[in-house]
Amino acid sequence: MLLFSYLLMSGVTTGALYALVALGIVVVNKATGVINFAQGEFFMFTGFVGWMLHVQFGLNYPLSFLLAVAVGFVLGMLTDRIAFRPIAKNDIVSLVLATVGIGFILKGLARVIWGGKADYLSFPPITSPDPIMVGPLMVIPQQLAVLAGTIIIMLVFAAFFRLTRAGKMMQATADNARAALLVGIRTDRIYTLAFGTGAAIAAAAAVLTAPLTLLYPDIGFAFFLKGFAAAVLGGLTSLPGAVLGGLIVGVAESLAGGYIHSSVMELSPFLVIMLVLVLRPSGLLSFRKARRV
Amino acid sequence: MPFGRRNVLLALLAIGAIVPAFANGYQLFVCNLVAIYILLAIGLNILVGYAGQLAFANAAMFGIGAYATGLLQVHLGWPFWAAFPSGGLIAAAVGTLLALPALRMSGLYLALSTLAFAQATQWVFLHWENVTFGAGGFKTPHLSFAPLPVDKSVGLYYLSIVLVVLLYLFGRHVVTSRIGRAFVAVRDSEVAAESLGIDLLRYKALAFGISGFYAGVAGGLYSALLNFVAPEGYDLFQMIIQKSTIVVGGMGSIAGSVIGASIIILVLELLREVKGMQEIAFGALLVGFVLFMRGGLIAVLRRYVRGWEEPLRMTPRDQAQALAQPEARPSAADK
Repeated sequence: MLLFSYLLMSGVTTGALYALVALGIVVVNKATGVINFAQGEFFMFTGFVGWMLHVQFGLNYPLSFLLAVAVGFVLGMLTDRIAFRPIAKNDIVSLVLATVGIGFILKGLARVIWGGKADYLSFPPITSPDPIMVGPLMVIPQQLAVLAGTIIIMLVFAAFFRLTRAGKMMQATADNARAALLVGIRTDRIYTLAFGTGAAIAAAAAVLTAPLTLLYPDIGFAFFLKGFAAAVLGGLTSLPGAVLGGLIVGVAESLAGGYIHSSVMELSPFLVIMLVLVLRPSGLLSFRKARRV
Repeated sequence: MPFGRRNVLLALLAIGAIVPAFANGYQLFVCNLVAIYILLAIGLNILVGYAGQLAFANAAMFGIGAYATGLLQVHLGWPFWAAFPSGGLIAAAVGTLLALPALRMSGLYLALSTLAFAQATQWVFLHWENVTFGAGGFKTPHLSFAPLPVDKSVGLYYLSIVLVVLLYLFGRHVVTSRIGRAFVAVRDSEVAAESLGIDLLRYKALAFGISGFYAGVAGGLYSALLNFVAPEGYDLFQMIIQKSTIVVGGMGSIAGSVIGASIIILVLELLREVKGMQEIAFGALLVGFVLFMRGGLIAVLRRYVRGWEEPLRMTPRDQAQALAQPEARPSAADK
């Protein structure tokens, strides 16, 4: 029971982080119809930026967090300007390769700037590392902090879509880009905003995760695959679906790792992606059977 | 036409054939690597450039070819000459199976599911330890060209060159045949292709299988070249190297694959010291070519070198250019 509660708790925590990465993927995909293959590298790069601000420059954690999110937003907007807007009307192969290229540039930059110091950088914990008992559940305070942070980000995000003008314009563009353009929404700005928001969420996820895990230049791709698995589970255009998908992937991975073998954890995104795309391409929350092309 | 495609490639081949006479060991190694990447690039180009299947699994096929060739020798004691073709065929078989998910999805979704497949292959290389020897990799038996009076590196180099020539010709014939035209039809519109009576399953399976075979053969040569097989040689970075070769050379051009592979390997070797710089260079190459030179170098050659002709042009823009050319030519000549 102790093992189970521990696994469940860590599954929910990592699942919440996957959900954030998935949200970033979904926001971009919903607005532009493109999967941003650099999403994982945004996560990795901004994680390093947070580390640099917090550990090297000695800024406090909340300030480092906000600055890293701002850097993420700018990176996302730059990606839109460089690798999406000029070729938005081209074929999908070009769009995919352009974001893959951006991702590799970021990965190489991170390796050149931070990789030389040590291969794995550790982020100091923001709470005490000792586990506490909540009733029968064993909980690590850091996990609670991460979970709380994730929930707050999701709420802010939902409020942004429901309440702000920019959020509503994003929804309109996602719904029907041509109609949005007709009523005077500058859709190309919305695409920039979507890329920026997606990267900002990745940054938030990265700086939240960093105290729980180690940072290294190759971390991005693993998170991207898991986030994508979560997004696919949710149907790729649904924000609540992405959150649910993230939790499912996180918990399933944690339980498989605890009860079968730790190496199985890395296999779970592959299984999820393959099974969902082949069997139920419209995701878990959708009842409509549709082919994804 | 002195700079026609055929003459240029024959000149390159002639230079390639006399390389062992003057090159040192390292230069010969790099030239052999170029030959291997030409095979990889042609295979990937048939799949992505001609058949339009945006798959990210060729690095995994490359690994499967290398592992199969190596493991058949190590575990079953097969000679290289039996293990090597089997490795190619095994990779072709696995590639053909990948056509099944490709029937249900295309574009982004195919890209991501093949990416996930490639990760799963990495996982098998890493964790099936009693067969694949895990993360540390394994040494392959030393290759000998016993009756022939050549040492291993020269022999392997000529073997690679012969295979490059044969598979280049094979690739050219495939893409200019009925099969190649079917690939292009599938790429440009699946619905239209099907309504012309093209069996999607058959031609997708064929494209994946042929592509897997090229990658598997290249993998077998690579394992013999390094005498060593380990998982990290076949990861996502490998895939990006291969993608860069066809983007730089030109999608939908067999000759472009040759040019792209040669250039990319030289860049890779020049930057070997720093992996981060390699990644930045390849990312920048990808973005730069996608943004500014979509047809790759082959489009430049086609435009500025008289007599350089490419069968079965590739992008819609190229086709538009081809249609526009009759009007454009006279005005260019007037100048």
